[in-house]
Amino acid sequence: MAQTLASAPPPMNKGFFSRISSYIFDIRFLGVIVQIAFIAIVILGVRTLGGNFAQNAGKLGRAQFICRDGSFSYRCAYDFMDGNAGFDISDPPLEYKTTDSFWWALWNGIINTFRVGILALIATTILGTLAGIARLSDNWLLSKVALVYVEITRNTPVLVQLLLLYFSVVLALPDIREAIQPFGLPIFLSNRGLSIPWPEFMSSAPIWLAFLILGILQFQLTWFFMGRREQETGKPSNRFRWALAGFLVIAAVGWIISSATADNEGILVARSSRIGEFEDIKSVIMTRGGVNHVSEFAHKSDEELEQAALKICVLRDSPSEPNLTNKLRRLGLPYEVNRASSMSRAISSFAEGNCDVLAAPKSALNSALAMLESPASNLIVSVKEAPLTWTVPSFEGFNVVGGWSMTGEFFALFLGLTIFYGGGLAEVVRAGILSVSKGQTEAARALGLLEGQRLQLIVLPQALKVIIPPLISTYLSLMKDTSLGVAVAFPEMYLISQTLMNQSGRALQIMIIIMLVYLVISIFFSVVLNWYNQRVVLVER
Amino acid sequence: MATLTSSTRAIEPPREKRGTFSKSFNWTYFLQDNITGSRGLTIWVALLTVITLAVTVSQLGSAPRRAGIIVAVWAIAVVATILGELFTLHNPITRWLKENMFNSVSNTLITLLLALVVGQVMTQLWNWGYVNATFDPALTAPDVRSSGASWGVIWGARKLLLTGPLEPEYTWRVILTLVLLLALWAFTYIATRRAIKASVPVFSKIMNGLWLLAPIASYIFLAGLQKELPAATKTIDFGLFWIRFNPVVAIAGLTINMFTLVAGLLIVLATMAVLWFFRVIQLNPTAIVMWVLAWPVAYVLWRVIAQTGWFPSIDVDHWGGLLLTMIFAFFVNIISFPIGILLALGRRADVYGIPSWIVWPVAILSTGYLLMTSTPELWETSRNGIEKTLALWPVLIIISAYFFMRSFNGNVVKAFSILSIEIIRGVPLITLLFMAIIMAPFFTSEGVELDKFWAVIVGFSIFSSAYMAELVRGGLQAIPKGQYEASDSLGLNTLQKYRFIILPQALRILIPPLAGAVIGTFKSSSLVALVGLLDLVGVVRGIIANPDWLGLRSELYAFMFVLYFVVSSVVSAYSRRLEERVGLGSR
Repeated sequence: MAQTLASAPPPMNKGFFSRISSYIFDIRFLGVIVQIAFIAIVILGVRTLGGNFAQNAGKLGRAQFICRDGSFSYRCAYDFMDGNAGFDISDPPLEYKTTDSFWWALWNGIINTFRVGILALIATTILGTLAGIARLSDNWLLSKVALVYVEITRNTPVLVQLLLLYFSVVLALPDIREAIQPFGLPIFLSNRGLSIPWPEFMSSAPIWLAFLILGILQFQLTWFFMGRREQETGKPSNRFRWALAGFLVIAAVGWIISSATADNEGILVARSSRIGEFEDIKSVIMTRGGVNHVSEFAHKSDEELEQAALKICVLRDSPSEPNLTNKLRRLGLPYEVNRASSMSRAISSFAEGNCDVLAAPKSALNSALAMLESPASNLIVSVKEAPLTWTVPSFEGFNVVGGWSMTGEFFALFLGLTIFYGGGLAEVVRAGILSVSKGQTEAARALGLLEGQRLQLIVLPQALKVIIPPLISTYLSLMKDTSLGVAVAFPEMYLISQTLMNQSGRALQIMIIIMLVYLVISIFFSVVLNWYNQRVVLVER
Repeated sequence: MATLTSSTRAIEPPREKRGTFSKSFNWTYFLQDNITGSRGLTIWVALLTVITLAVTVSQLGSAPRRAGIIVAVWAIAVVATILGELFTLHNPITRWLKENMFNSVSNTLITLLLALVVGQVMTQLWNWGYVNATFDPALTAPDVRSSGASWGVIWGARKLLLTGPLEPEYTWRVILTLVLLLALWAFTYIATRRAIKASVPVFSKIMNGLWLLAPIASYIFLAGLQKELPAATKTIDFGLFWIRFNPVVAIAGLTINMFTLVAGLLIVLATMAVLWFFRVIQLNPTAIVMWVLAWPVAYVLWRVIAQTGWFPSIDVDHWGGLLLTMIFAFFVNIISFPIGILLALGRRADVYGIPSWIVWPVAILSTGYLLMTSTPELWETSRNGIEKTLALWPVLIIISAYFFMRSFNGNVVKAFSILSIEIIRGVPLITLLFMAIIMAPFFTSEGVELDKFWAVIVGFSIFSSAYMAELVRGGLQAIPKGQYEASDSLGLNTLQKYRFIILPQALRILIPPLAGAVIGTFKSSSLVALVGLLDLVGVVRGIIANPDWLGLRSELYAFMFVLYFVVSSVVSAYSRRLEERVGLGSR
């Protein structure tokens, strides 16, 4: 608008100079000139800095650009990443050895960042929503506790919170031998972290997941077509229940089919052990224990049980273990697990006769059979599998095995981010709920909507419009703040990059990768935010 | 409001006689409201009951006295409330309890659960921090510690906590700065009283001037002046004058010499000329003369103070502890606020962009030229597919020209502002700080040694500016469209519009978010510890490693936690007061 005013045609009855000057001072002309000058300044500035950089880089860091053949070229800036990392990662999410490449080490860090970030993101959403609602609660005590929580988290730096949490809370937890078990549940909390039960995907899980996707598709279709019929006929049909029932039926059928058809899991046994089929295990163990019925095992002493127990060799953290042991537990049979750190160790342990069976996927067992001295004296017995099997943590010796365990560092970072951002989110949620005017609620009641309908149709859509944009920025900040893992020595992307820099002496190259990864994360969230804002754009006037 | 409450009071049911059984109580309704109303409610209450019972039982087992008292008090309060409700025996306390603690079954259970949990946490904290704690600095050595906190470490390490590794003989200069700022603040408080403002209007003008001088004075006190000009500024290449002028150097060796003198004066005069041309300021000969004189006078003063040797220069990397944290909070905000305003204005700039008939030919020609000159060489020497693709980099010029025209319509200012804001906001602060430290030696000209402190200040200010820009943008967006349109229709140009109409309103709206930004900087300045600076967190890490205080983590972290909390709360409380006085609320 200013432009149209300023660029109005010049008055004609002026002299030559003023006519020229009115063109020169035309805002569009000036604007373009200023912008071109701006570009020139930016380019000159970049050139100056770049010149300095080239000068200094050539002098200080020529060694950074040495190729493998010893020549010097800027294109070799990232060649060093193929070399041996040579350092250990305390909590690698993937298989990692010190002889792996820098790329692989960095990739482990990136995965760790996402692991802790996404988990904290989910937990933050839950905690923030609960705290936001608690702030508005009519229970005085609850709202005050929530207020104190929000004020404390918002008025102190996240770094200090994290340090306090890690050094004064997590590390002050009891030793693993006296791990806290809240209410006797199979959850172990100690200064080494947290272990919780966790579903383990078996090899037949993809089939079941395909069925689940089919079920979701069915849900959508049922929802859509029954909704259309509802609109046409005007008769309400409980489309949610029908759709849900259909989904459950398909999921159940998928479960049965995938567990019936899957034949990937097996055990390797010696022919001499008289186990020809999985069901034979029961009779073999019962004979060995000298009992006629499994319930008699309850009366046996520990030594007798140990004698009778089925000794299982297995690769550590392999899903074959819970699959087999869950079945044995259901049968009431005693067992003893011998976990090996690698498959070849497990095989040699079986070959030495340390255990009765070797549990693994069949493909691994076939290759194991080939490695044994006398393959003919052993055979592979199928073990049935379900798509998911629960692994439950339990005490064994001086350690907690099974389940899904977070290290203390992971736990502290996860908890610290969750608590800090939960406080911020609580305020967002509270503001969102308060932004829906009371008149809306009253109008909904006046229309005779049920409480559930009121929340679902009137309050939530309006509150979410206010909540979601700051929620997404909170998510973004949270993902960025996973870099604070460096303060508690959790090996996420930033910490790994620091180690890489110390190992390779090439700070700039690594920092560029790291910043790019963070930028990609932030662009992702920005795109989501823009997409949402465009969908629910608030039109002014 | 008054009429509303009186009318609601009027329709209250008639009071029943005290002490008789309430006739209005109905079991069916009670159950429906509290438990059986919906399936979700039933499940919720059942779950809550189980959890509360489990916690009660476990606490009665582990700490019978405390848990017993809490449960007993809770039970008595519940019984009193029920009696009050059923027999119309309410007194103010039970009425309050009924409304705020026991207004439903689930709230009653939540009250007990929270009381137990809060009780346990508070007792443990109290035992650790007071009952079993020692407060004597002599009792902090590892072999004489008690089972609780050893608070003596805070008094023992007070010097480190406050000023870090700063030489003790300079402590008085820190105190002087503090006194100066407090005195200024107190005088401003007096000057802005209504009576004084009316009777002595010059007073507040003088205070404004003094506030402008305060950062310079603080700098002289805290950093000191060198008798000799620092070597860094001597080696600046005067031949290529403004291209080789490196802003980092100017800030790093912040000294007034002939070069900064002339350049600064030119910048001030040029700015004044532009503002005068756009009729934002009037041509004021006195002001120009004062500005022209101000610089030589300041220069002479600067040199004179330097020659007296009262304030010998301090290595800025020796600042530490709370002092450094505070310096960061002030310095970064002072730098980033104007840059933030510029970036925000740039982001909203609707100037006429570079037309496509300029952009496309330039882009296509330069792409073609580079494809012919640069690509073949790179292509021939490439070793793998990735490098072959990278050899085609000139195509990026065309692609970016396309996005530049599509997204920004050729508007360079907007493109620059948006891209820089978004890129800076997209990466964590800690990576920027680290980048600033490792990049500083690469980007400074030869012979310039940049202190770690200044590198971090630059990185931090870049980060903070982007956030500041978003805050200011929020303030600008909050101004109703009508204000922009009205100033356009009055014929004000862009500069006049922002100077006289938009910014005065926007800055007033911005008080709370700005206070938030100051608190934010104060809090996030703790991150500089992770790149090796000795701010409060960094100093505390050092203290923990000291053999005398080895491992006294919890005490120091807790102290730091409380300190940050108190300062942040005070600042936000002050900003609320400020907002009441000059903010939107009073209008």
